Amino acid sequence: MRKSGSADFVYIVQDALSSLRESKGTMVLTSLTLGFSLAIFSLFVFVISNLNGVMEGWGEKTQIIVYVKDTAASAEAMKESIMKVAGVKAAEFVSKEKALSELKSALKGHEGILEGVDADPLPASFEIRVLEGHNSPEGISKVVEELKSRDWADDVQYSREWVEKLASFIKFAKVAAAGVGVFLGAATLFIISNTIRLAVYARRSEIEIMKLVGASDMYVRAPFVIEGAIQGLVGGLLAMGLLAAGRYVLIGQVPPYLAFALEMPFPVPVFTLALILAGVLMGVAGSLVSMNRFLDV
Amino acid sequence: MIQMFHVSKSYEGGVPALADITLKIAKGEFLFITGPSGAGKSTLLKIMFGSEPPTQGQLILDGRNYVKIPPPELPALRRRIGFVFQDFKLLPNKSVFDNVALSLKVMGIPPSDVKRRVARMLTYVKLQHRANFKPLQLSGGEQQRVAIARALVKDPAIILADEPTGNLDPELSVQIIELFKEVNSRGTTVVIATHDKALIERYARRTIALEGGRLVHA
Repeated sequence: MRKSGSADFVYIVQDALSSLRESKGTMVLTSLTLGFSLAIFSLFVFVISNLNGVMEGWGEKTQIIVYVKDTAASAEAMKESIMKVAGVKAAEFVSKEKALSELKSALKGHEGILEGVDADPLPASFEIRVLEGHNSPEGISKVVEELKSRDWADDVQYSREWVEKLASFIKFAKVAAAGVGVFLGAATLFIISNTIRLAVYARRSEIEIMKLVGASDMYVRAPFVIEGAIQGLVGGLLAMGLLAAGRYVLIGQVPPYLAFALEMPFPVPVFTLALILAGVLMGVAGSLVSMNRFLDV
Repeated sequence: MIQMFHVSKSYEGGVPALADITLKIAKGEFLFITGPSGAGKSTLLKIMFGSEPPTQGQLILDGRNYVKIPPPELPALRRRIGFVFQDFKLLPNKSVFDNVALSLKVMGIPPSDVKRRVARMLTYVKLQHRANFKPLQLSGGEQQRVAIARALVKDPAIILADEPTGNLDPELSVQIIELFKEVNSRGTTVVIATHDKALIERYARRTIALEGGRLVHA
């Protein structure tokens, strides 16, 4: 009897394509479910990533101000000394003159108050930003202590309350996001796996018949894997389309303070690839898991 | 070809379907299994086909001894056995041609050979004019012949048929059995489960009878 492995491949692909044609309704429904579920989950990932970015921005704004004694050494030498402190990201020198002009712009409209005042009463200072890993209350305290020990430092100020509140808010937000993420991820997986399971269930007699005429498990599985992959691919692209369309519609409509939620937190090609891969993986894994129990004939 | 030693089968809840069956079917034999409904005929065929493992006893197929046929060996075994199911088990979405071709496709037979052999088999069971029909567009007798064509097209060493004339009028029943006789004359072992006494008397072949899961006449 002539046998051919390439014939197997041809039949498997033909079977997959003809099944997709024959069960268009199920195919469309499964792809739509995949697409919408992935879109909702991605939207969550978007918002969380953007929120994370915003919170990191707040963290970076955390500043320590070191007022310097009038007798201090040169600004360059002080800056060099500050940058040696572990955890310092940047230090900007604010001279007496700059401090005055900043004060003037802060008092815009009431500049008269400062008439006749020269720069001398205002101390020069350094505005210091700390590295991300050091912006916890403990980390900042360490930096502050270190800066206080400099003999040219007159006073070191920072908002302890703000730093502590921010740290606890970020902590809470991260736990909440993880909780919602797990819940949403589980719901997404549940919806997708159930849809695929129902689609496979509708074809259980087909699986049984193929097994009874002597098809190997691989031969029975392969068309389902191909179909699952195609549905996943369509679902992934659909999710991408939905997100792009949603962004297009919403952009310009949301108030500026919420605009950060619409930022694209990942490079588009990477995100597209991840969505398609997630769709294909879910389609294939869902098909394989769902059909396994029908293979025992 | 097929040997069974003290084979028993019970289903969940302890209902016995077969009890202590010892049976030998020679290569090229034509055998009827008879008995009333629920006697265990279908279960016996399913055990020979490997779709039901026996609860007890041993099965020897082609000289190989099985207590339970290992799942990876089932496809190869089933490609050598043509099974005609009582409920046909045809794919409703596929054409008659595709249903018959399935037997050959799963064996990796190249498309050109599949086309030739299926066409020949459909002519053989007088269904060539129905090749593009779907099973539900056919009569019960025609569906039965599609199921038989699917079992025969792969030139199996053994044919197991479960009530293959159950849905047919007497004339068509004879035609079907004649088909099996012809296949048998070319060396294929044929085992037919039927409760049609007239048919058994007409062909006077070796017949075993089951009743309540026991062999009452061998």
